[in-house]
Amino acid sequence: MKNILWLVLCLIALPASAAAIDGTQILQKVDRNLEPESYESYRKLIDIQPDATKKEYVLYTMKKGRDKIVAMFVSPPSEKGRVTLRLGDNMWLYIPDVGRAIRVTSLQSVTGSVFNNADILRIDYTAEYNVDSAEEQKDAFLLSLKAKTGDVAYDRLKMWVDKQALLPVTIECYAASGMLLKTLHFKDIKDFGGGIKRPATLETDSPLYKGYKSVMLWSGLKKATFKDEIFTLNYLPRVQELRK
Amino acid sequence: MKVASGLRWAWPLVLLLLGTGAPAAEEYSFDSSEFEKKPFEIGGWAQLKQENFSLNQSGALYKLNNYGQPQRQDLGRTAGTLELIGKIRQGIGTFDFHTHSDMQRDQLSHDYDNVMYEAAYSIRPSANVTVEAGKRVLNWGKGNTWNPIAFVSRPKNPDDPLLAREGYVMVNGDFIASPGGDLQTIAFTPVLVPVGGDVNSDFGLTGHLNPAAKLYLLYRDTDIDFAWQGKGSRPARFGMDFAKNLTSNFEIHGEWARIQQFTRPVADSSGSVTNQVGNATSYLLGLRYLTESDTTYIAEYYRNGTGYSDDQLQQFYQLVNNAFALPQPTAGPLLQKALALGKGNYVSPNPGQDYLYFRAQQKDAFGIVYFQPSIFATMNLQDRSYQITPEVMYTGINNLELRARLYLLHGGAGTDFGEKANSRKVEVYARYYF
Repeated sequence: MKNILWLVLCLIALPASAAAIDGTQILQKVDRNLEPESYESYRKLIDIQPDATKKEYVLYTMKKGRDKIVAMFVSPPSEKGRVTLRLGDNMWLYIPDVGRAIRVTSLQSVTGSVFNNADILRIDYTAEYNVDSAEEQKDAFLLSLKAKTGDVAYDRLKMWVDKQALLPVTIECYAASGMLLKTLHFKDIKDFGGGIKRPATLETDSPLYKGYKSVMLWSGLKKATFKDEIFTLNYLPRVQELRK
Repeated sequence: MKVASGLRWAWPLVLLLLGTGAPAAEEYSFDSSEFEKKPFEIGGWAQLKQENFSLNQSGALYKLNNYGQPQRQDLGRTAGTLELIGKIRQGIGTFDFHTHSDMQRDQLSHDYDNVMYEAAYSIRPSANVTVEAGKRVLNWGKGNTWNPIAFVSRPKNPDDPLLAREGYVMVNGDFIASPGGDLQTIAFTPVLVPVGGDVNSDFGLTGHLNPAAKLYLLYRDTDIDFAWQGKGSRPARFGMDFAKNLTSNFEIHGEWARIQQFTRPVADSSGSVTNQVGNATSYLLGLRYLTESDTTYIAEYYRNGTGYSDDQLQQFYQLVNNAFALPQPTAGPLLQKALALGKGNYVSPNPGQDYLYFRAQQKDAFGIVYFQPSIFATMNLQDRSYQITPEVMYTGINNLELRARLYLLHGGAGTDFGEKANSRKVEVYARYYF
């Protein structure tokens, strides 16, 4: 009798619990909690090699809407002036000496570091991924995401989302073959002002780069509005003039 | 002295060792205020390069290049280069410049050069309008190694297509619109290139103000350009290009250009030169493919409509060889003709009509981040002569780029790469960015 009662209670509770977790809604909130839809920011990328040698890059980034983003290297001098542009699935790299933009792919790395173009030119998760499943754990929601198209850098993501803050804590990135490509660890939640409170540090490690670690730091993240014309090939040589 | 000269190749390694000091422990910190835009910026790079040539004494281009010089089997050249890149900003205007200075010394000569690559003032009244005047490089086209539609820029060095080049003095505008929908971007770039006196003297005939324009469209995820240059210092020309990602790791691109009433001197082995006039059509098809293991393949086929067939090249090489084979007093007129032709298209890096370019490069090879070996080859498809170049590059030290290359040229007598001035070249450089 006790067992039957327990079973009935479970059957009643199950749909209620499933309805409580709407993975897509959580992912939409994660997108907006990480960044406003349109923003500007500076980011520092630090590559740490197995012998603890570091290489640092600083990028100025502008994003508009769900899928327009430009990132320009302002440091180090060897990369200064290089600009990457992403419009949906299209990505270009502008090299000042070459004087024109060439098409690049999301899995390439314009820096040669563990971070690839998809990490540097990340657009909204909801623009690239569907939520396959959502699971409630002790302190986090675990979202399993599947890329909407084959053009996305990582075929699947496992995203652990902090229940309270609705911000990602850890993301595992997988290839279509199921191979783990890298793990992203979000840390150091910081108030950037303007209602933006999010992790200021992202650490990455990859089984493909044993002993190497990459870190991304945010600064000066704020809402901004931009004209569409800025996100075009012709504008790339002049992007640096937009910085304050 | 011989020992010192023999060890010259080793200095980039010394720089490498100097650059790999033990790093200090550091916490992560980042304040973006130090990276904000400044009214004046200057940077650039300095480079030391050592080249060792194995000279091809039987090659026609060796004979032309070394006329009147002591004959040598090899040559070692050391070169120092400094490029400065700067900006001065005020209001909606920006003045930017790019200078190039180099000094080089080999066993036969020493030389230096100072060139202003770019110096232009631009104003941007709004995000979609830019107008600029000055010396500027406008690189049109989608090709990696060649650009048939690069109507208002100097040709690329096919061995180093990413190298900066000298621009032309011009006035140009840029008007951009983003209509949305299938036509994501439309941009129009009109250009005026004056030629007169010392201004743009190598562009073409003096006394012309040459109009040119490019229309760019991003239509359904495909880059499309239409380019045009009016008749003036050079014959009129027009063309188009495209680039598109078929998948995220597979890109295709192409260019097509027609030069109207192009004049080309054609010589036969007896020294008779005729000017052939006709429309010249050039085109290029290329691809770029990235594998899962981070190997990039680039391949391009180039049809050079202004180039020479293998038979025409053979005739020219025969003319040079005949001129240099004759005893000096008799050779006079033929030699002068060969030397004069040796300043034109016959001795350009790729004077033939059909070329295939192939490059494979591996990122982070052998698990070493920032280490990139690659190999590239250029083949003249008509005479089957080719150049193959293995390369290693390391950029793991902050602001330092180290690169070594070995150029190997193959081809029989009378062929494009068989008649070049050298049969092998070793090149090592260290470039420091600041």
